Formats: sequence, structure tokens, C-alpha cells
Amino acid sequence: MIGGKYAEMFALGLRNMRGYKLRSFLSMLGIGIGVASVIAMFATAEGAEREILAQIGRLGVRNIIINSVKPAEQRQDSAGTSWVLRFGLTFRDHRQIAATVSTASQVLPVHTNSDVVWEGSRRVDGKLHGVQPQHMRLLKLDVTAGRSLTEMDNLLFARVCVVRPGLLRELGWFGEPLGHRLMVGEQYYEIVGLLAEEEFTGLTQKALNVDSRSFEIYAPYETVLKRHGTTSIIRKSGAMEATDVQLHQILVEVDEQDNVLATARMIQQILEKFHPERDYEMIVPLELLAQRQKAQQVFSYALLAIALVSLMVGGIGIMNIMLATITERTREIGIRRALGAKKRHIVAQFLTETVTMTAVGGCLGLMLGFLADWLLRTSTGWSTVVSGEAVILSMGISCLVGILAGLWPAGKAARMDPIAALRYE
Amino acid sequence: MALLELDGINKVYGEGEVALHVLRDVDLAIEERELVALIGASGSGKSTLMNILGCLDRPSSGTYRLRGEDVSRLSDDRLSEIRNREIGFVFQSFMLVPQLTVLENVEVPLFYRGLPRPKRHAMAREVLGLVGLAARIGHKPPQLSGGERQRVAIARALVNDPLLLLADEPTGNLDSRTGEEILRLFDGLHAEGHTILMVTHDTRVADRAQRRVTIRDGRIIEDTAVEPAGGKA
Ligand SMILES: Nc1ncnc2c1ncn2[C@@H]1O[C@H](COP(=O)(O)OP(=O)(O)O)[C@@H](O)[C@H]1O
Ligand SMILES: [Mg+2]
Repeated sequence: MIGGKYAEMFALGLRNMRGYKLRSFLSMLGIGIGVASVIAMFATAEGAEREILAQIGRLGVRNIIINSVKPAEQRQDSAGTSWVLRFGLTFRDHRQIAATVSTASQVLPVHTNSDVVWEGSRRVDGKLHGVQPQHMRLLKLDVTAGRSLTEMDNLLFARVCVVRPGLLRELGWFGEPLGHRLMVGEQYYEIVGLLAEEEFTGLTQKALNVDSRSFEIYAPYETVLKRHGTTSIIRKSGAMEATDVQLHQILVEVDEQDNVLATARMIQQILEKFHPERDYEMIVPLELLAQRQKAQQVFSYALLAIALVSLMVGGIGIMNIMLATITERTREIGIRRALGAKKRHIVAQFLTETVTMTAVGGCLGLMLGFLADWLLRTSTGWSTVVSGEAVILSMGISCLVGILAGLWPAGKAARMDPIAALRYE
Repeated sequence: MALLELDGINKVYGEGEVALHVLRDVDLAIEERELVALIGASGSGKSTLMNILGCLDRPSSGTYRLRGEDVSRLSDDRLSEIRNREIGFVFQSFMLVPQLTVLENVEVPLFYRGLPRPKRHAMAREVLGLVGLAARIGHKPPQLSGGERQRVAIARALVNDPLLLLADEPTGNLDSRTGEEILRLFDGLHAEGHTILMVTHDTRVADRAQRRVTIRDGRIIEDTAVEPAGGKA
């Protein structure tokens, strides 16, 4: 057939569909729902993936984060006379890693004190992180006003800190933040810098040892250790609990991304030796990234399989309709053959009709998909992303389904004996 | 050389006990520009013969030569082309596509001939004017009367200017007045030089033909040339 004829056959297909409105609509809906579910599923998966990738990216792919963890069984101090719970990373761990792991370009200790922050008579439970100046850079804790912590602060045991605006709001301080002095525990700290408001969730929250309220206070490492010591006492529902943790976190930056996994293994070996009770945990963002991508791949295949099944179901519906259509239009097929249609003309006619139907169904599904995506986003708060790939994939597959579903009915139509078709009542 | 030549044509439906011998040793030759009436009782095999002549059906045995070419050797595609270009078929029961308009119905053979749309429109309009249906172009077959449908079918058969016009009882479904109009149309086409084979069991219709072929139980029992009788009634 001469090119351009397909446009006409497409139009004819649309017209024939109008002849059987409800029936065509229902079978198109089958394809449409298939396409819509593909789009919605991929949007959800893509959204989840991007979120987790953003979280992992936030932690830095070249970083390794080791946090102290309270061991499961309450192990009392060996002397038996003390009620202080001792666990977690030590200064020695830090020295050992810094001295032996050559691929680590930074090994930064962190000591965290859970302390009460006072502003007049208002109090807020805050977290005082004693950190090295480079800590701020490695974890992209950038100040938006004032300055960050410096090496000099450490040397001078300066009582300065960097906080988030949220903490000041909670304390009811609405004056000039820079230069303002906060009382943390029994120590005054002068605010020298403000961090951006940032909310952490899930993985990043755990890795950065912060909570959702973002009431953390960053102060020089040496100052915090000198002024607060390593022991802290927490009053919990009347009872008191004292812990002695030297370091709450060790943050390692690896010189090159390729060395991250090897470095992590090396650190693991060092720590295993000193911590048989495993009172620490190691977070390797790069490793999580790899795991995540692998899981995502498996998930994608599963989604694709579900999508294919639903489109196949839609395709079977279309095939069913086309078989009925061909039986109903047997006479028309006989007439066309008698007037000079070759077999391939008949195949082309019914194939374009089927593809027209699935393409229209696909467009319908596209709209339904965007609607479903919007509903998911607004009602569940998931961050969904409709990717171009999902749109192209589902449209492509629905056209392919059209061709596959149309081939058999179209072939059946073309193989009809013209005379028998003409005599068909 | 005759336009078409049938040589010992047999057509058998079914096999063994239930075999139905519809055509038996049919020999027939038709020259160009002839107007032939094929007469016979219902069930005598007229439509079967027409279908074979129209390359829609294949004989069980015997040879059919169209302009000297043995049709049985031709491919399915080539037969489609012959039906499209050389033969105009007017079926016993119109055989129009109900979803298509009158104009589109007439355009169908032109579509398969591969002509562009404007050309098709022009040709279909012209031939519809010829059969006096220019005003009904946009209607669909169910909206037309029997005579009008028959004329659409004739227009469609003529639109590709075929060598051979096969009309299977073109007046069978019509009242005598409309039938007369249709017959006059065929007279005109014959006068223009078309070769026409018309099936009828109405002897009055047959009287207008130059040649009458009578078929009974699948055999040609009579083949006579007649004086052009009354002509115009
Ligand atoms: N496809 C077929 N299968 C079986 N018998 C058929 C078929 N087509 C026609 N016949 C039989 O062949 C005979 C001749 O039919 P037909 O050519 O239509 O007769 P006419 O047109 O002269 O009335 C009839 O008895 C009919 O039943
Ligand atoms: Mg008949």
C-alpha cells in the first residue's frame, strides 16, 4: 500500500471504533488501566529511588560514618562499684584508625553531649556535638550566616557554637542570633554561625546522630571534651542513668571513591579487635548506594513483569474485541477482497484498527497515570516522579501489545475465503 | 482471441457421499463488447459460474483463460489485482459496506488500486453522476432505496473502467419500474462498448441481450444469439 494510506486507515479505525463506542471504550480501558498502573508504579519506585539516592548523596559517597551503639545487654562496669555504663568508640580507636589507615584523608572524632539548653527560664533538650572544623565540610553543614568552626577555636578551647534557627525559635529567642550566648548544661556558648534549616529523615538522621527536631549544636571538639567530660547523666522517669562514652562518632573521609570499600573493611578489622561486643555500627553510604541500586534493579524487573502482565490482560481484551469485530464484519472483508484488496491490505486494515485502539487506550492510560500519580503524591505524601522513560516504555509496550493482539485476528480476517465471507449472514 | 474462455469447467462442493456437483463440463467463450444473458432456474449454478469468471472462486477442474492467461496459475495477489482492475462485479445483494458513505463505497476499488484521495473523489463523483446519484454522495447505504443501492453497486463496479462487467441478477430485488431503469443503464454501458455478462431468470430481461446462455443443473444446455428484439421498451 502506498504510504500515507495508513493515516486514512487510522481515521477509518477511529470511525469504526465510534460505531462500537461502549465496547471499544471498555477494551481500551483495559489497556488504559495497564498503562496507568505502569506509570503509577514506576513513578512511585522512581520517587523512592531518588529520595534514597538524595539521602545517600547527602552523607557523601567518600565518607564512612561509625557511630557508637549502646550494647543490647546492660553490661555493668567490671569493678561492680560503679553504675556507669561504658561503651562505644574510644580515643584509642580514633588514634588507631588515623595511624594505620593510609587511604583515610580525614579521621574526625565526634563527642556528643545530650544537654539541656536554657534561654532564660525556657529549656530545650538539645544535642551538643563536639566536632572538628573539617566535620562541617565533610557533612556539608554550611553556615548561612556568621562563620563556621575553625582550628583556632579548638586550640583556644573557644566557647563558640553553630546552631540551626529552629533551636532559637524553640527557645523563644528572636533577637540577633550571632553573638548571642546560649547556656548548654552549665556552660555558655556564643553563637558564631547559623546553619540552614534542614530536615533529616530515616537514614541520614541515624547516620548524623541527629533527631527530627534539628536542635543540634555544633561546638569545637576540644571545648566540649574539656568542659563536659565524657560522662553524662540522664534522668529518666526518676531513675538516673550514667554513661561514659568517649566518642560518639568517628567520621572518615576516604581519599578516593575507589578505595572506600577497602577502607571500610580495614576499619572493620581494627574495630572488631577492640569491640567484640559490637557496640558500634558502620555506615558506608557508597555501599548502601550499591545495595540500593541492586535492590532497585530487582524491584524494577518485578514492576516490569507486573506491568507486562496487566498490559497482556488488556491485550487479550483487545484481541477478544477484534475477533468479535472480524466476525461481525465478515461480509465487509468479503466485499473488500472481491473489490481487489490483497491479503496484506486486510491485515494492515485490522492491525491499524487494533493499534489505533491500543494507542488511544494508551493515551487514556497516560492521563489516568498522571492522575494516579497526582493522587498518590497529594494523599500519601510520597515523592513520586513520572519519568519520561516510564511514559515512553508504557506507550511503546501498549502499541506493541496492539500489534501482538491484532496479528492473529487480522491474519484470520485475511485468510477468509472471499466467497465464504460474502455468503456470511 | 476471446476475452474469456472456459474449458471443461467443473465445480464440486464437498467430498464423497455429500459431494455436490454444481458445474459440469462448462465450455463458454465470450468476446469483447458482447452483452450476454445467463439464464437458469434458482440453484442451477449461475452465481457459482459468475464467481469463477470474477476470479473470486476457483474451479475444481478445467481451465479459465482471461485474455489468454490461465487464471489457475495466478497468485492470490495477482487475482486481487485482476478483480480490482479488470472486473466489475455487481452482486446479487448489493454488497455495500454499511458504515461507509456512498462516495466511500464507490472509492473502495480505487483505494486498493492505490490512487490518491483527490483523484478517488473525482472519479467516484463522476461515476455516481453517471448512475444519477450525484445528490446522495454523503448518505450511507441503509438510508437508500433498493434501486439506489443497486445503482451504487453498479457505480462501484464501473469506477475502475473494467474489461468485464459481471452482474448477478441486477434486477432481482427490484420492482419492475426500478428494474427497467437499471436495465436501461446497462444498455447504455453496452452501447459504450463494455462487455457485460448478466445473470437473470427473467426472460423479458434476457430478451434485451444479443446472446442467451441457458444453464440447467450445472450444464449449459443452450447458447443462442438473438436478434436485438424490442430494444427500448
Ligand atoms: N459454498 C457452497 N457450499 C456448498 N454448496 C454450495 C456452495 N455455494 C453454492 N452451493 C450450491 O450450489 C448450487 C448452485 O448455487 P448457485 O450458483 O448460487 O445457484 P444460482 O445462482 O443459479 O441460484 C446450489 O445448490 C447451492 O446450494
Ligand atoms: Mg445466484
